[in-house]
Amino acid sequence: MTWQAVARKDFEDAVRSRWVLGLSVLFVLLVSLAAYLARPAPGQTISSNQILNSRLIRDALVTTLIPLIALVVAYNAVIGERESGSLKLLLSLPHSRADVVFGKVIGRSGAIAAPVCAGFLLPALIFVIVPAVNFDVASYLGYTALTAILGVAFVAIAVGFSTAASSSRRAVGGAIGTYFLFVPLWGAVQLPLQLYLGMSGSPSWLPLTGQQVLRMLRLLNPTGSFKIVSNAFLQGALYTQGNVSMQVSATLMLLVWILVPPLLGLLWFQEADL
Amino acid sequence: MAAIELDGVTKQFGDVTAVSDLDLTVPEGEVFGFLGPNGAGKSTTINMLLDFVRPTAGEVRVLGLDAKRESVAVRRRTGVLPEGYDVYHRLTGRKHVEFAMRSKEVDGDVDAILERVGIADAADRKAGGYSKGMRQRLTLGMALVGDPDLLILDEPSSGLDPGGAREMREIVRAEADRGATVFFSSHVLGQVESVCDRVGIMREGELVAEDSIEGLRDAVEGGETLVITVDAASEENLDAVRALDGVTDATTDGGTVTVTCDPDAKTAVIGALEDAGVTVKDFQTEETSLEDLFIAYTEGEVSA
Repeated sequence: MTWQAVARKDFEDAVRSRWVLGLSVLFVLLVSLAAYLARPAPGQTISSNQILNSRLIRDALVTTLIPLIALVVAYNAVIGERESGSLKLLLSLPHSRADVVFGKVIGRSGAIAAPVCAGFLLPALIFVIVPAVNFDVASYLGYTALTAILGVAFVAIAVGFSTAASSSRRAVGGAIGTYFLFVPLWGAVQLPLQLYLGMSGSPSWLPLTGQQVLRMLRLLNPTGSFKIVSNAFLQGALYTQGNVSMQVSATLMLLVWILVPPLLGLLWFQEADL
Repeated sequence: MAAIELDGVTKQFGDVTAVSDLDLTVPEGEVFGFLGPNGAGKSTTINMLLDFVRPTAGEVRVLGLDAKRESVAVRRRTGVLPEGYDVYHRLTGRKHVEFAMRSKEVDGDVDAILERVGIADAADRKAGGYSKGMRQRLTLGMALVGDPDLLILDEPSSGLDPGGAREMREIVRAEADRGATVFFSSHVLGQVESVCDRVGIMREGELVAEDSIEGLRDAVEGGETLVITVDAASEENLDAVRALDGVTDATTDGGTVTVTCDPDAKTAVIGALEDAGVTVKDFQTEETSLEDLFIAYTEGEVSA
C-alpha cells in the first residue's frame, strides 16, 4: 500500500501548476465579492451563514464553478501521465495500479481542497474583524469542508474517466459530458419535470410517486446531494431535524460518487497494456 | 535461482506478434545484455517483466515471483530504467529521488544517489529543464534506490554522451559486484561487450542467439571473410567451395564471391573456384569482428 507516496507526489506536482495558484486567487476574489454584495446596511449585522447561503456563493461559485474546476484539475490525472510516459516511471516503482488510481484521487483532491480552503478562509479574516458580520466559526469551517467534498466528488468522477480513457481527448469528453449533464442539463430538465409530475402525477408504469422521482433526481446529482447536506448543515439541522433520511441518503450518495467512478476506471485499467 | 525466467512467452498486439514463443533464463548475479535492432521485441519483453503489458501466452517469473500477480513484490526488489518514460517536469531531481525512496519504503541519502549518477549540482532544479542525458541519469538514480536485487535497464545509454555511457557501464559493473543481477537492453553491441557475462540477441520477436561474450568471440575467432572479384560466378560454382573443409558460408552476386572461412582454407577456395571454371581477378580478406557477427544475426544472415 503505497498510495500515500503517490498522493503526496501528485499533490506536490499539482500545486506547482499555475492552475492551483490562479484558482486560489479567483476563489478569494469571488468569496470577497459575495461578502461585499451581501453586506448589511449600516447599523445592521449579518451572519456569515447568510453570506454562504447567498446565491453568488451557493449557486454561482460552489455548485456551478467548483464542479467545472474540479473536472479541469483532474481529467488529466492518469491519462496525462500515460501519454507523457511518466506513468512508466511511476509504475517502475512498487505501486499497484490501485495505489496509482486512489493516490491520484487523493492528490488531486488536495489540489482542489487547497484553493477552496484558501478562497474561503482568507476572506474570513475580514469577517472576523468587521463587527457587522456575526461570524459563526464552526459552520463557516464546516461549509468550507463540504465545498471541498463536492470538489472531491467531481475529482473522483474525472479521475475515473482519466483512468479508463485511452486518450486525453476521451477523458476531456467524459469530463465535459459530466459537467453538462449535472450542471446545466439537470437543472433544465428538473423544472419542466417538476411541473409535469405536479400536474399529471407520475406515470402508472412507474412504481414511484412524482415526489419520489424528483427526490431521486436531486439525490443522484452530486450538486443536488451537496445542497441537501449543506442547507441542513447551515440551519444547524444536519442529521437531527427536517428530512433526516434524505440528508443521510445525500451523504451516502456523495460517498458513492467519490468511490465508484475511480473503482470502475480501475477495473478497466487493471487489464490494460500501458 | 533464476532472476528472470521466460517460458514460452508470446505477446501479440492485435495481429502483430511482438514476441514469439520466447524462452530465456537469466541466473542470479549475472549481467545479461539483451541485444537486437529497434523493434525486435526487447522493450515488449522488458515491459512484460514489469507487468506493463501482459503476455498473450506463456509464463513470466522474476526473482522467483509471478510477474503479474506479484508484480508489486517484484518491483520492490527491482530498479528500473524504462524506455519511453518522462520525468515530472515541475518536480526537482531531489523530489524524484525522495519519491522513489518513499515508494520503496526505504531511507537513504538523496545527495549520495544524485552524486553517484553525476547530477548533484542540478538536485534542486526542476527536472523539466534537464537534458535527455540528465533525465536518464536521474531515472538511473531512482532505479538504484534501495540497493535492488535486480536492475532492468532499457537502452540505458541512449541520450548519454560517450563519457556518460562509460559512467553508466561503471555503475552496472559496481552493481554487479554488489551481487545484483543486471538485465539491460541495447541496440549497439559495443556498449555491452565490456560489461556483460552473457548476451541474447533478438530479431523479429525471437531469440536468435544466446551465448557468453567469450562464446561469441570463439565463434568468430580467426574467422575471415574472403572477398573475391571474379568474371562471372553462379550458385553451382559455389558448391565445390562450400564442400571444402573450413568454409562456413559462401555467397555470390555474380561479380564477387564472399566466403567465410578459416584462414588456412583460403588457397583451397581460390583453387576450387578456378577448377570450376571461374576466373579470379582479385581477392582480399577481412577479419570478422564481433560487430560483424552481431549485424549478421540481427539482419538475419545467420540463424542459431
